[in-house]
Amino acid sequence: MLLMFEDQHKEHLSFLTQVSPDVVKEFCRISMEFIRKGTNPKIFQGAAQKLNVDVDTVHHGVEGLMYLLTESSKLMLNEIDFQDSIMTLGFDEDTRQTLLEIYLQNRREIRTILSEMTMDLPHYHNLEWRFDVQLASRSLRRQTTPTVLFKLHTEDSGVKDTTILQTDPVNLLHLTKVLDEALQEMKSPYCRRIVRNIK
Amino acid sequence: MKFRFCGDLDCPDWVLAEISILSKMTSIKMKLLCVQVIKDMLSEGIDYEKVYKITQDAKFEIGDVKASIAALTFILSSAAKYNCDGETVSNELQQLGLPKEHATSLCKSYSDSSDRLQAHLRTTSLRLSHLEKTEWRVDYILSSSELKEVNEPCVQMKLHVRNPDSGTTTPVSFTVDMDKFRILLNELRQAEKMMDNFT
Repeated sequence: MLLMFEDQHKEHLSFLTQVSPDVVKEFCRISMEFIRKGTNPKIFQGAAQKLNVDVDTVHHGVEGLMYLLTESSKLMLNEIDFQDSIMTLGFDEDTRQTLLEIYLQNRREIRTILSEMTMDLPHYHNLEWRFDVQLASRSLRRQTTPTVLFKLHTEDSGVKDTTILQTDPVNLLHLTKVLDEALQEMKSPYCRRIVRNIK
Repeated sequence: MKFRFCGDLDCPDWVLAEISILSKMTSIKMKLLCVQVIKDMLSEGIDYEKVYKITQDAKFEIGDVKASIAALTFILSSAAKYNCDGETVSNELQQLGLPKEHATSLCKSYSDSSDRLQAHLRTTSLRLSHLEKTEWRVDYILSSSELKEVNEPCVQMKLHVRNPDSGTTTPVSFTVDMDKFRILLNELRQAEKMMDNFT
C-alpha cells in the first residue's frame, strides 16, 4: 500500500529536495534523535543559520521527515512501497536511497517506541493476601468467622494504586473456580481455531 | 512432584531451569551469593559490585545473574514461608538436580538466617494501617454560645496512623465527652482481656 501525502506535508518536504544528500542524512539523524527523545528547538536555529534559510522551513522539514518515517513504520511498508510513495515527492536518486536506508535501519526501533505509546488500562502489579479469623466483636463474643483480606496493587501509566478487598473462603473458592475456567477457555477448540488463524 | 519447600506443590518451571545455571558456579561462590541475596531480602541492600565479581568467574551474562538472584530469592523465601528445616530443603534441592556441595552450602546459609527471614516476613505481611502514637488531653468546658454554664469535662484524642504503602503518617483527631469515653474505655478493656486469653 502507498502513503498518500497531504499538500501541506508535500510543501514541508519540498524544502529537502533542494539540498544535498549529506544534508538530508543529517536531517534524518536529527529526526531519529527527536523521535527517540523529543524535540529540541535550539538545533533548528543552528541548522537554519548554516543553510541560510528560515527557522520555520527547517522546523517543517524535520517534522515532515519524522512524520514520513513514523507513518511508514506504523504501516510496515516494504521497500518497494516506500520507494513508490516517495517517488511523487521529487527527490533525486541519492536522496531516495538515503531515505530508504534510514527507514529500513530504524523501523524496528520506531515501532518499539510507537508500541510503548498505546493506551494503557490499569493492569495487575502485585497481590498481597492475609487469612484472618474473627474471634469476637463488640456485638457478639465467641465466634469463629474466617475471612481473607486482599490488597491488590494495580498500575496505570506509571501511577500505582491499591484496592483493599475482603472475602470469605466459600466466595474465594468460587472466584478461583471461575478464573480457572477462564484460563481453560484458551484450550477450547473454538479459541484454538481463532489463534491458529491469527498466526 | 510435590515439594515441601514449595508448600507441597510443584516447583515452578523457571526454578528448574535456573538450577542448571546455579550448578555452574563453585559452592563457595554460591555461599557468597546466598549471603548477598539474604541481605537483599532483609532490605539491607544488595551490593551489585560484589555480585558481579562473584559471577565473573563462572562467566555469567547479565541475564544469568538476574536469573540466579531471582531463583535464590524464591528458594530461600518459600523455604522460610513454609517453615522447612535445612535438611528437607537440602534433600529436595538435590532431587531437583543441584549438586550436593551447593545444596549443603545453601542450606547452611538458610538455617543460619531462617529466624531473621521469618521475622522480616512477619513484619512485611499485609497490614492495613499502623498506630504510631496516641496523644490525649482532658479539657473542661465552662460555657458555650448555646448554654451559659456547661461545666463538663471532655477528652481530645489524636491518633497518628501510618499507611504502610506510602509511609506517611496522618493524624486523626476527635473529641469524646465523659460518658461516651467511659463506654469506649470499657469496651477496649474487654477487647484487651479477650486478646490476653488467646496469647
